[in-house]
Amino acid sequence: MYNILSLVFKYVFIVIIYLFIFSIIKLIYLDIKGIRPISFDNSTYLKLINRKESLPFKIKEYYPLDDNIFLGRGNDNEIVIKDPYISKKHLRIVKDEDDYFLEDLKSANGTYVNGQRVMDVLKLNNGDRITVGQVEFIFVNRG
Amino acid sequence: MLNKGINYRLPRNLLFVFEMMALFLMFMYYRSTLDKSTIIYGLSLIFIVYVSNLILSKIVSGDNYLFLIVTMLASIGIIMIYRINHEQGIKQIIWISIGIVLFFVTYFVVKRFKGWENLFIYYLSASIFLFVATLILGKRFRGAVNWISIGGISFQPTEIIKILAILMIASYYTNYDKFKKKKWGNYYLIGIMYLFVFFLFIQRDLGSVLIFCSLFLALQYIYNENRKLVFANLVVLIFSGLLGFAIFPHVKIRFETWINPWKYIDTIGYQITQSLFAISEGGFFGTGLGLGHPDFIPEVSKDFIFSAICEEMGILAGIGVIMLFMILVYRGFKISINQKNKFFRIAALGISILFGIQSFIIFGGVINMIPLTGITIPFVSYGGSSMLSSFIALGILQVASEELDIEED
Repeated sequence: MYNILSLVFKYVFIVIIYLFIFSIIKLIYLDIKGIRPISFDNSTYLKLINRKESLPFKIKEYYPLDDNIFLGRGNDNEIVIKDPYISKKHLRIVKDEDDYFLEDLKSANGTYVNGQRVMDVLKLNNGDRITVGQVEFIFVNRG
Repeated sequence: MLNKGINYRLPRNLLFVFEMMALFLMFMYYRSTLDKSTIIYGLSLIFIVYVSNLILSKIVSGDNYLFLIVTMLASIGIIMIYRINHEQGIKQIIWISIGIVLFFVTYFVVKRFKGWENLFIYYLSASIFLFVATLILGKRFRGAVNWISIGGISFQPTEIIKILAILMIASYYTNYDKFKKKKWGNYYLIGIMYLFVFFLFIQRDLGSVLIFCSLFLALQYIYNENRKLVFANLVVLIFSGLLGFAIFPHVKIRFETWINPWKYIDTIGYQITQSLFAISEGGFFGTGLGLGHPDFIPEVSKDFIFSAICEEMGILAGIGVIMLFMILVYRGFKISINQKNKFFRIAALGISILFGIQSFIIFGGVINMIPLTGITIPFVSYGGSSMLSSFIALGILQVASEELDIEED
């Protein structure tokens, strides 16, 4: 009885060990490509246009967007970018019935969408270029 | 898309299933002599591992894979040890649990306090103190004097000195410019290194000599500006290795057993030949847990655990263990490259090299690829000191995987 069990289990063990290794390698691979595996099915995100290496502060390639997101230099924002040209609370992106709106929170250096300074609130369309400080994002909404 | 559905939950659950199945199998194996405490120990370990992985993926902003990989290695090790020796298995479960607690303690303490790079002299004096203590209080065990026991608790100081040495080298190269200005400043580290190797040689701990030498050399090769010094060092080490071979009989014996273990099959070559038999007995898929004879190998739960894994779980599981170590070391190097803080950069590199070298020496040793020196596989082998120090090192590596130089607003 025990022998049969042990014989079956040894194959299962090997399969599990290799599946484990495979899933870890896969996760690391996703990490290297800069895709965050957790919120992957989120199809709305900000994509960095600048070369990541050209910026002197830490930044990610992708920022997935939720219903309400603050961007700024302060640590209490959802998206924290330590660019000295970005205000502590710089802008806000809100979702309202499938549309995303960008609101500039009276930042010192302003927010530009496709080269135009945002005065109050602006609706974002797929492919819009958002410039904050030295950083440039592209807004992607495939929803 | 292709990548949909893969997230951190998958490896965590795989690990959980693996451990539950192993626990069930062990119940069946020991069903005649089973008592309740074993079940409680086993289940609580599985619970601790699962919860720690869950907590880590939530609170830690750095690397999430390190702890997963390590807990997988520890699980494979504990299954094997438990199957070989019931009592050692229970002890090992306790060691792993303490190790995990120490991992979290190290993580928070190292992260909380600043200025670890300025403690060079403390790392140095602590190491020398431990070496001297070993010489005075040491117990001879398997030819090497590397155990001290205080109040009934015995431990191996070398395991702690390994971590201290890495921190010491890291703080030396962080403050390299300061040291260079002093007279002979460039030679401080080399002097200390030879002192350490000398101490280890008196203890007759050849495995540790090898680990310390490779660790020092690798870090020196990367960070020392004076190339000539590095090569001179290498030449001296090779030369003293040859000298050691000529003078000390116990070095010579190791070498001869390595060249032809079959000649000494009934004496000094017994252990290594049994290990080779065990590995070949297992084949690709192994004999199945509990159906082989790993207990034929002396010291099987410590140095020769890898042979036991190969025998009962198959060479494929053995390759799996090696692959896990490869990912672990790869992650360590990656962390080191991404880290901006120089001290933690060097420390992460040192710890990765330590894990890599240590596992390489013993894997190579038990398959008779390189001369055998008795050291443990980190996280897998039986042994309290080794388990605890490996988890402390992992804690430091975990801190190093995070962004540390964030300027305050």
